[in-house]
Amino acid sequence: MADLKILAVDDSPTMRRIILNTLKRAGFQDVVEAVDGKDALAKMEVDNFNFVITDWNMPEMDGLTFVTTLRNSDQYKSLPILMVTTRSVKDDILEAMKAGVNNYIVKPFTPDTLKEKIEQILAG
Amino acid sequence: MSEVINLQDKIKTELLDISSAINEIVESYKKLHSPLIETKENVPKATEQLDKISEQTEAATHRMLDTAELITQREDEVITGLNKIKQFVQDKEYNSINEQCDELAQKASDNSNDAFVIMDALQFQDITSQQIDHAVVLLEELGLKLHKILTVIGGSEHADGNQPTNSSKKRAFDPHADLFDKKTDQTAIDSMFSKK
Repeated sequence: MADLKILAVDDSPTMRRIILNTLKRAGFQDVVEAVDGKDALAKMEVDNFNFVITDWNMPEMDGLTFVTTLRNSDQYKSLPILMVTTRSVKDDILEAMKAGVNNYIVKPFTPDTLKEKIEQILAG
Repeated sequence: MSEVINLQDKIKTELLDISSAINEIVESYKKLHSPLIETKENVPKATEQLDKISEQTEAATHRMLDTAELITQREDEVITGLNKIKQFVQDKEYNSINEQCDELAQKASDNSNDAFVIMDALQFQDITSQQIDHAVVLLEELGLKLHKILTVIGGSEHADGNQPTNSSKKRAFDPHADLFDKKTDQTAIDSMFSKK
């Protein structure tokens, strides 16, 4: 858990702060922020991350396109990805599953849910 | 005889003009019908979105106020507790100091937890921001439809230079974003992923 480097992708500055604080409280200290999929991909080119938390609705590149891009690359085929979004329609969740997310949280979430999902994904 | 023919021609011309005018009215109605229907549908949608924002902002604000009140109340108790410790030190009541310190540590821990409750509640801002973006898009569409209607009614004078434009801000939002109404709850999502 200590050496986990997380990339948190969300266009809302409020959500990024909340996610960052929640992660730090849960013991995940190494967290980098990105404002959308495009920014995230740029950050991944210069840094190594072993966990991604991403929103869905974002300008420039949305979360679903971002996840699909990662899953289509050899390097990030098995990178753990958790989607955290307001989208709670069943078809959307199925679409995210199909794109390759490892788990899915609907906002608003509790700190316990976020921690639990990260641990579940890491446990495989 | 020629007078009758002239009259017939005049009537024919008049009838053609009337027919042409009726056709124009029908065409205008066709052009207006769709934007009018869409305008009619978009107004309640935008109003509903704005009402939702107002209600959800109020609910989240009350949740934060309730928690902030608990924190300030506990802070008052901490001050009282510290004064008690001061007195216990003076009176050399060491057991009481110990108990009081434990109580104060618990209050500090409760305050820290409640600060996170406030932080959680602040997630409403992301949700209401998406609802506002949705309402703005609906209103922008409404503006475009009204422009079309004015163009048809008022002729070309409304078509030149007055075309409403969408704001330059890139908006990415979930049209169903809601603080309380999740279409699928977390337990159902967990179940979907456990079957994966």
